[in-house]
Amino acid sequence: MTESAATQLATQLIVILLLALLGATAITIARMRQLWAAVMLTGVFSFLGASWMLILDAPDVAFTEAAVGAGISTFLMLATLGLTSREAKPPTGFKPVPLVVVIVTGCALVYGTLDMPHYGDPDGHIHAYPDPSYIVKTNGDKGDPNDSDGEINLPNVVTAILASYRGYDTFGETTVILTAGVGVILLLRRERRTTGQPEPPSADANTGGPA
Amino acid sequence: MNHYAILRIVTKLLIPYILLFGLYVQFHGDFGPGGGFQAGVIFAAGIILYGLVFGIGAARRVAPAPVVERLIAVGLLIYAGTGIVGMLKGGNFLEYGVLAHDAQHGQHLGILIVELGVGITVAAVMITVFFAFAGRERTE
Amino acid sequence: MHALIDILSCFCLLTGAIFSVLGGIGLIRFPDFYARLHGGGITDTMGAGMIILGLLLQAFRAGVDPQLTDATITPWLVAAKLLMVLFFLSITSPSSCHALAQAAWQDGLKPQLPNPPDARNDD
Repeated sequence: MTESAATQLATQLIVILLLALLGATAITIARMRQLWAAVMLTGVFSFLGASWMLILDAPDVAFTEAAVGAGISTFLMLATLGLTSREAKPPTGFKPVPLVVVIVTGCALVYGTLDMPHYGDPDGHIHAYPDPSYIVKTNGDKGDPNDSDGEINLPNVVTAILASYRGYDTFGETTVILTAGVGVILLLRRERRTTGQPEPPSADANTGGPA
Repeated sequence: MNHYAILRIVTKLLIPYILLFGLYVQFHGDFGPGGGFQAGVIFAAGIILYGLVFGIGAARRVAPAPVVERLIAVGLLIYAGTGIVGMLKGGNFLEYGVLAHDAQHGQHLGILIVELGVGITVAAVMITVFFAFAGRERTE
Repeated sequence: MHALIDILSCFCLLTGAIFSVLGGIGLIRFPDFYARLHGGGITDTMGAGMIILGLLLQAFRAGVDPQLTDATITPWLVAAKLLMVLFFLSITSPSSCHALAQAAWQDGLKPQLPNPPDARNDD
């Protein structure tokens, strides 16, 4: 199926619209004073980011962003907000030095991206290395997992790279997640009087429903 | 009539499907988008939904804190164990090709097992963080 | 036949999009919290439902005309998955609207009525 120029134009328009919405949401979050609304807007930001990643043909990343960013992260921030105040403290005054630092860093980053190849450029470095490409190494010369030519033969090349070719990195990532869990246990666990006793049900167990 | 009747009924309808979908994403990571990280988060979301609607006490009975905390380590042990089994069978650490009779089947088996380990760890960590945050009272 | 399915699915998709926009306008412009919830409800049910119906028609058309799609997609599987998404949407979205209204009512927020009734029983 060949993509006509109209389809490409429509895709580009959707991408530009999504990125504009992302920028507008980010600016609104930064300026919002009611913290409940700001947390909801971060959920909206994660959803928009997930849609944008889906348009960029990365469904695995979009999946993870939607589940973690829009689901767990929003919920954890709401749970934290339930324990603290509802409104951000007023800004203490205009500080010019951080603004200058941020503008200079942003300009340097944008200047750095001018050197990168265009998105999807077939001569780009990312498509030339490694040789043969991971798709060929996983699925054979034609990239078809039914050929049983390659080393792994899985339709999802992302999982093959994540779990097999770069399995050591995934091992480290899982260790990082374990460390985060251990850190939460160490920092946020309440002291128990006697060992072996389960923690007493806390205040919100009596309401028996959503907050 | 209980105030939250509709929510409780809808949650009871949905939680089996959420957990089933988490398992689907876990084991179909080879064939479509998915894998360990997404599946762990979805599985934890099911338990968190149960805890939100039915109370923290009920959620703690379903997923007791000692069991969940040990599961955090068990997931990573499964991952490292696959690597060690590969070494015991004559290959390098985390070499899946020696795990089965055929190099390709060994790769498939190894990927399946390590993704399972990742999924278990991620789900257990999310549930632990939920219990740590949700069980506290207001501090101010 | 294919043109008919195309026209029907185009109509469904456009209707879903229009309903979503109307729901968004209602979400912003209505004066009261409970009225704004109506806007959200329309987006969830009619907007998403009509869009999924339009996509179902496209999947149906791909099912009856196999030259039009990739060989790796089975259109009936796509249709089944869309039906499951519709099922979940129709269960979760109205119940989340209900949860919002329930929470607001429990909190004491009363709707702005033009003629408040004399005696009102709280349930």
